[in-house]
Amino acid sequence: MLTAILRRVGSSAGVLLLLTALVFVATEVLPGDAVLNSLSSDDFSLMSEEEVQALRAEYGLDKPAVQRYGEWLLGVLGGDLGHTIMANTPVASLIAYPIRNSLLLGAVVAAVAIPLALLLGMAAAYWQRRWPDKIASGASILGYSIPEFASGNFLILCLAIWVPVFPAVISAFTDAPPNELLALSFLPVITVVFGSVAHLLRLVRGGFLEALNSDYVERARLTGVPEWRLVLRHALPASVIPALSYAALYVAGLLQGIVVVEKVFGYPGLGLVLIDAVNAREVAVVQAIALLSAVTVVVFNLLADLAIALLDPRVRHAHSFLRSP
Amino acid sequence: MTLNFDWRVLRHPLYTLGLALVALHLLIAIGAPLISPFDPIELIGARTEAPSANFWLGTDVLGRDYFSRLLHGGRMALLVAFTGVLISVFLGSLTGIACAYLRGPFDHAIMRLVDVKLALPGILFIALFVTGLGESAPVLVALIGLVYMPGVIRIVRAQAITQISLDYVRAAQLRGESAAAIIWREVYPNTLDIIFVEFAIRMSHAVLLLSSMSFLGLGISPPTPDWGLMVSEGVGQMSFAPWLVLAPALFISTLVLGLNFGAEALAAALGVDASRGKVG
Repeated sequence: MLTAILRRVGSSAGVLLLLTALVFVATEVLPGDAVLNSLSSDDFSLMSEEEVQALRAEYGLDKPAVQRYGEWLLGVLGGDLGHTIMANTPVASLIAYPIRNSLLLGAVVAAVAIPLALLLGMAAAYWQRRWPDKIASGASILGYSIPEFASGNFLILCLAIWVPVFPAVISAFTDAPPNELLALSFLPVITVVFGSVAHLLRLVRGGFLEALNSDYVERARLTGVPEWRLVLRHALPASVIPALSYAALYVAGLLQGIVVVEKVFGYPGLGLVLIDAVNAREVAVVQAIALLSAVTVVVFNLLADLAIALLDPRVRHAHSFLRSP
Repeated sequence: MTLNFDWRVLRHPLYTLGLALVALHLLIAIGAPLISPFDPIELIGARTEAPSANFWLGTDVLGRDYFSRLLHGGRMALLVAFTGVLISVFLGSLTGIACAYLRGPFDHAIMRLVDVKLALPGILFIALFVTGLGESAPVLVALIGLVYMPGVIRIVRAQAITQISLDYVRAAQLRGESAAAIIWREVYPNTLDIIFVEFAIRMSHAVLLLSSMSFLGLGISPPTPDWGLMVSEGVGQMSFAPWLVLAPALFISTLVLGLNFGAEALAAALGVDASRGKVG
């Protein structure tokens, strides 16, 4: 069991290492290089060849790519994410508060969406093809068909403009205390929950249906186990497992939703920093955010796999629970 | 070829609705230049004019006819998504079958790459490359192709593994056919049902992802009319001209809704299990 866990952790680390290579390669495909891209054509035409070379040396762009990758990777591992080209601020300090704010938003969304998906998914499966199932399925189809930028702006129109209950735009500063941010964030949270509950709900419903129709639930029912115990004790754990195995996709989807919603509401998180960074061609910032997102996805995927190993007796007692990460 | 469509699924009203929505959107997208009253990128009126007999939905912030832009707003997104998804599904399914057939180091290497890509959310993947390469249509097509390929490889590989254990593959091997011939002529046609469904599902994901990227300013760039872009352009006028946001939001939502129901209809008609949602 322990070796299996260690091997699983090792393969996640391997994926992350390859990811750093991908993130680095993405900057190598730049036409020209970071220095040329940061200069306007006017600046460029005024500068002498030596000045351009000096600038490239300053950013280390005159070294071979493999050496630069090694140095960049060592820096990242040591917490040095590089500097912005425009203002020369350390990327780490630029994204510190936005990381906190985005994590806050993500945590609140997950705290609402996961119990809600469990509840609705179970209800939909328990009353299969009856009205709870129809409502839950209909809502989930709408949830993953309507883009967050459409539903978010629709909510702003209804609940911030026509009936002004909530703020349309989040006016808090990036370093505002968490409670101040949360007080303003009702609409963003609802928007991401609406989009992210749908997929989870379907997985729970599917798992729950399968469990309810299984032999062991049938056996428990015949031995006179009360209905509530049947649902909570026997079918619920089994229905969570298929949902857990999609944890990576769920977290990735949640991150995408958060990026869009931050833009819709002006929420001061990583998504807004990302969009500004892409427009300003600040490669180091985009790299840092991409890497952080990937780490989040890989870590949650790892945790979900470990949780499956604990929850599922079939996996627990198997020699290796290693599926692909 | 073993594609058996069971069109009795059309009796299901939601499937019919989905296919009808897709058909309607395709008609509008293809016919937009013929049915639009004005050129969608020509400045012809005053800024943000109210709807009138001349401009049915008024004009936008730059004075372009909003109704014409609305009709044109899905063309570029559909074209980019269609081409990108076609690339990812074609190359992805061949790679997936090759993985399933060859196994060994090739399969192992490809699956590691798939894991790496799946750890990076689509928006981040596109943002990373768009930072260097810009947001031109060919770049977006290539990126959409790359974003969805790993998922396709995984699904098709799983399906192909079952196919390869069947007798017809063994028979082809005994006839002495090459690996390439077995992959292309034997296994590929027999996984076409799942490949078709993959295509439909990925189309809905790609259209949604592209419009979100355009909304963020990282996708289709102005002055091309695009619903995602139009929503972001209309936000400033939302309090007095809400249709500038509501109309494109409705168009993109009905398109994705139609594609989702359409994908489910296709899966049901082909007898494929498609109980998977968005993301990737």
